[in-house]
Amino acid sequence: MNKYFAGIDIGSTMTKAVILQEGIIASVIGPTGPEHRILANRVMEEALERAGLPFSSISYIVSTGYGRINVPFADKQVTEISCHAKGISYLFPRAKTIVDIGGQDSKAIKIDTNGRPTDFVMNDKCAAGSGRFIEVIADTLGLRLEDMGGISLQSGNPAKVSNVCTIWAQQEVASSLAKGAPVSDLVAGIHRSLADRVARMVKRLRVEKEVVLTGGGAKNIGLVHALAEQLEEEVQIPEEPLITGALGAALLGRDITDKAAKNNTALKTKERVLETVKIL
Amino acid sequence: MNAKNSIISSKVESYYKDYGQRARELNGEGKKLIGYVCSFVPVEMITAAGCIPFRIRGDVGEPITKGDTLLETIVCPFVRSCFDLAVKGKYDFLSGVAIPHACDSMTRSYPVWSYSLELPYSHFINIPSVVKESSFEFFNEILKTFKQSLEEYVGKEISNDDLADAIKLHNANRDKAKAIYEFRKADPPLLTGVELTKIITVGTSLPVEEANALFDEVLEELGQRSESPVEKGPRILVDGACVDNFELIKIIEDSGANVVVDTICNGTRDAFPHTDEGGDPIDALAHRYLDKINCPKTYRNNEAGTFEGDIASRFGDIGKFSKDFKVDGAVLYVYKYCDPFGFEVPARKAYYESINVPLLYLEDLYSTGTIGQLKTRVQAFLEMIG
Amino acid sequence: MAEEKKKKHKKRRTATKAAASIGPMVKEFIGGTNRARAEGTHKIAYTFIVCHHEEILRAMDVLPVWTENFAGICGAIRDSERFLQRAESLGFSRSLCTYALCGLGFDQWREELGEMPPNAPWGGQARPDFMVSTGQILCDPRAKWYQAAQQYMPDVPIYNIDLPYPLYDPNHDHREVWGYYHKYIVKEMRGFVSFLEEQTGKKMDYDRLKEYVALSDKTWNLIEETYNLRAAKPCPMGTGDAMNTMVPMNFKMASQEAYDFYVGLNAELKEKNAKKEGIVANEKYRLLWGGGLPSWFALGDFNYFNSKGAVFPAETTYRMVAPLDEMDIPETDDPIEHLAWKWLGYWTFWYDRARKRPGSHPDVEWLINYIERYDIDGVVMHEAFSCRSWHVGLIWQLQQLAKIYKPIPVLMLGDSGQKKEGKRELPSLILESDIIDITSYSEVDTRNKIDAFIETLESIEKSKIN
Repeated sequence: MNKYFAGIDIGSTMTKAVILQEGIIASVIGPTGPEHRILANRVMEEALERAGLPFSSISYIVSTGYGRINVPFADKQVTEISCHAKGISYLFPRAKTIVDIGGQDSKAIKIDTNGRPTDFVMNDKCAAGSGRFIEVIADTLGLRLEDMGGISLQSGNPAKVSNVCTIWAQQEVASSLAKGAPVSDLVAGIHRSLADRVARMVKRLRVEKEVVLTGGGAKNIGLVHALAEQLEEEVQIPEEPLITGALGAALLGRDITDKAAKNNTALKTKERVLETVKIL
Repeated sequence: MNAKNSIISSKVESYYKDYGQRARELNGEGKKLIGYVCSFVPVEMITAAGCIPFRIRGDVGEPITKGDTLLETIVCPFVRSCFDLAVKGKYDFLSGVAIPHACDSMTRSYPVWSYSLELPYSHFINIPSVVKESSFEFFNEILKTFKQSLEEYVGKEISNDDLADAIKLHNANRDKAKAIYEFRKADPPLLTGVELTKIITVGTSLPVEEANALFDEVLEELGQRSESPVEKGPRILVDGACVDNFELIKIIEDSGANVVVDTICNGTRDAFPHTDEGGDPIDALAHRYLDKINCPKTYRNNEAGTFEGDIASRFGDIGKFSKDFKVDGAVLYVYKYCDPFGFEVPARKAYYESINVPLLYLEDLYSTGTIGQLKTRVQAFLEMIG
Repeated sequence: MAEEKKKKHKKRRTATKAAASIGPMVKEFIGGTNRARAEGTHKIAYTFIVCHHEEILRAMDVLPVWTENFAGICGAIRDSERFLQRAESLGFSRSLCTYALCGLGFDQWREELGEMPPNAPWGGQARPDFMVSTGQILCDPRAKWYQAAQQYMPDVPIYNIDLPYPLYDPNHDHREVWGYYHKYIVKEMRGFVSFLEEQTGKKMDYDRLKEYVALSDKTWNLIEETYNLRAAKPCPMGTGDAMNTMVPMNFKMASQEAYDFYVGLNAELKEKNAKKEGIVANEKYRLLWGGGLPSWFALGDFNYFNSKGAVFPAETTYRMVAPLDEMDIPETDDPIEHLAWKWLGYWTFWYDRARKRPGSHPDVEWLINYIERYDIDGVVMHEAFSCRSWHVGLIWQLQQLAKIYKPIPVLMLGDSGQKKEGKRELPSLILESDIIDITSYSEVDTRNKIDAFIETLESIEKSKIN
């Protein structure tokens, strides 16, 4: 079919959009901010531009993520649980356990062979269970966030970071550094600490392979290794981890459209207009 | 029936928003209100004494502040919220407080309640933790001690007839509550879960005769409803302890589901079990509160000898409600730091699996601060079972 | 994770030889239960401390496995996290009693493997023939713990002994009600005996039971007398040691070994007192451990206090005996009735005294009594996040204590700006972490708090009128 579908994922640190036909036509990743509606408009516009498509050509739009209710042009809002499940199972047909480590939260999802979620667990209450943990420590050590993963892999002796609270861990790392602890050991210790916390959450579901890590955390090679170690399973990562939610959203849009066509029911969609959002 | 004539939209709503307004009026008239938390307090005894039982409620919208200067933050957040409101004077119309041995959060905070609030009456009801013949014998004595304490306070004897009358009134209240629940059996239900929460909650803030009259008005109004206020959606059972604020129910219903039944304290746990009439009222109360109420706090011996048999016995009421109300899924809502329910989560999960009812388990604080997080989980669950 | 185990945890200093002998004693005890399981020599029961039933278990030759003790060991050797995590993966919240989480995680693992988990601490916890839970008022989660464990051991039956005691009522004498409490407890205990008879196929020998009860009474009085020796100046033994020496009291009651242990401790303390040998050479502050179970992984903090010249002559935690001659419990020949009276007598011990002091409460009265008996300068408590049974009401107790008990004469500034004599309350400190979950503990934070507390004690000392 020549139909196009779009997915918009408004996360806590990034806003993403994907346009889908048979495969991904275009994808956009942008930063998040308080004005979700402006950002939603922006990434949608940019995705359309990259795809060379008019807005009216999009058959169905699904929004997801923490800011999903702030996408007025979305035809449906679906949680990131269902969207990541869909997106990852499309990319990894044998995936059974999905872990998503984002900027401000982390989650784990068990899926069945159809890519439907059967159980999930979330940690959205504590910074120390999210990418923010690594970010804060990177700041403390004067390092770039993108370099943290690589630095952690240089260590052969990860430091034990006993504090689970981000603030306390920050103090602990600063004080260890002052005492002469090698930076790579501290960075490795931090990665292990986060991986340990995430693994604790994941183990509340029964971990079954194949295990796929997605979200910003999947771009951190040190975290991928540390998580694999903690879960005692091989951990795979998508080529572009940040868009799996938006991809899943678009795929769900396709499913909804196909189902309506099969059942001969009408699809309710929004007007294909990007309203101008007044900046308050 | 339009909103102006609707009891639910007017009286119930008003009594819920300004919880305790009627109690305050009655206190002004010289009536004695005895506050209580938990389904285990024998309210019939309080009514029989000529006092008015008043169920203390928490407020998820009120951050706990003053209470924390006296009560540790590791206490169940519901109890903490109730205590916080009490020390902030929200319940200053109370003449006394009755706390049962239901869980450590209540038992251990009892001295803090009684010394901090400086009420003329306070009593701890030492409910047994097991259900044996000797437990009923013991509980009879405990109830007599409770009776004596009330008699001393009001300066009047409580006769068996007083008790029998109070039991009749409270049983009537339970019958009416049950009748209200019947309207939830329709598909879609003829009243929302939010409405139900408010109705039941308001009932516990009024003297039982007034609660009965209010329930009668509600029943009449419901009887005239020809259409449901909601659209059909997955039918949900809410399981847990005291869920006395409507926010969780609203989240579930706003996500497109119908909350049709519950096994929570200010729901069927409180409202359904009857006290036997006709015999010794004290013994009847002992049986209702120790045996008929189904709460994790009461240890039930594993008679079946197998895990499957044990959970079927312990949680069978959930299965019956699921059948009777044609439930599609359940939400088990447990407060962080809740010991009785916390220890039962794996067993409850196994039970829901055994009756093929999908379950969402939520561990939460007692605050509106977690609404966004709850919404995501509830919606994801509904997407899963949809 | 492997490196942490290799780095040997520094051994804690104890003041007494008796306390130092406890580690090996417990190790031997646990090894003994595992041998008994392997050889089938005894029936083994999971059970809890302070249920006044050790005499009954001993008389029926049932070997107890104290599940709280095992969890405490896992905490002390800092190997509890893997069991806590396992319990979490089963669906239990980390906010629950971490003794229970440790036990549940361990048990499920052992049952799944069909053998002890790898590197099980001190050989591991033996699989029981039955479980004896209880608590009622003492600790409600106990009943839920074994009930939850039964999911992983469905063939292991449970007997739940309901053991209530009347809560304090300032307007009523507890003797008005303790008659029917006693009746209930006796029935529960007799039911327990029947259960054991059924499980073991043996009949209770009541003469033997009487002997154990008498031995346990003797031991109670001896412990009381021994711990009173710690009131000496300088103090010969502190709470750090007492967290060890509580083992025979709570895990080996009604045994000759326990009695002999306290005979030995008694002699050791008398010797130290004769030589004026205190815990520290320069004793500056005497502190009361006024509530809360200790952080088993941080008992070294007592040494930290010591390094600042502070000692703990007394604690209320695990002081699970009271002088029998000061309890006015009815006399009886029946050993079970006597056990039930001891139970009630212990838990209501401070009620009469509390009634005599306006605004008091038994827990507060206990504190005041020890403050005076041991000449205490300050009170320290510990709030363990996972235990509501023992750690709720501590803030209030200290507040009430400060309200009704002001023993320190100090100079205070009056309204007119002049200094005048007054009385102030004892300074107090609440430390926060957990019994065995080390992730809740910050050594830096804790020691900061201790330092600040010592400074408070110093400044009060300076402003004291002598």
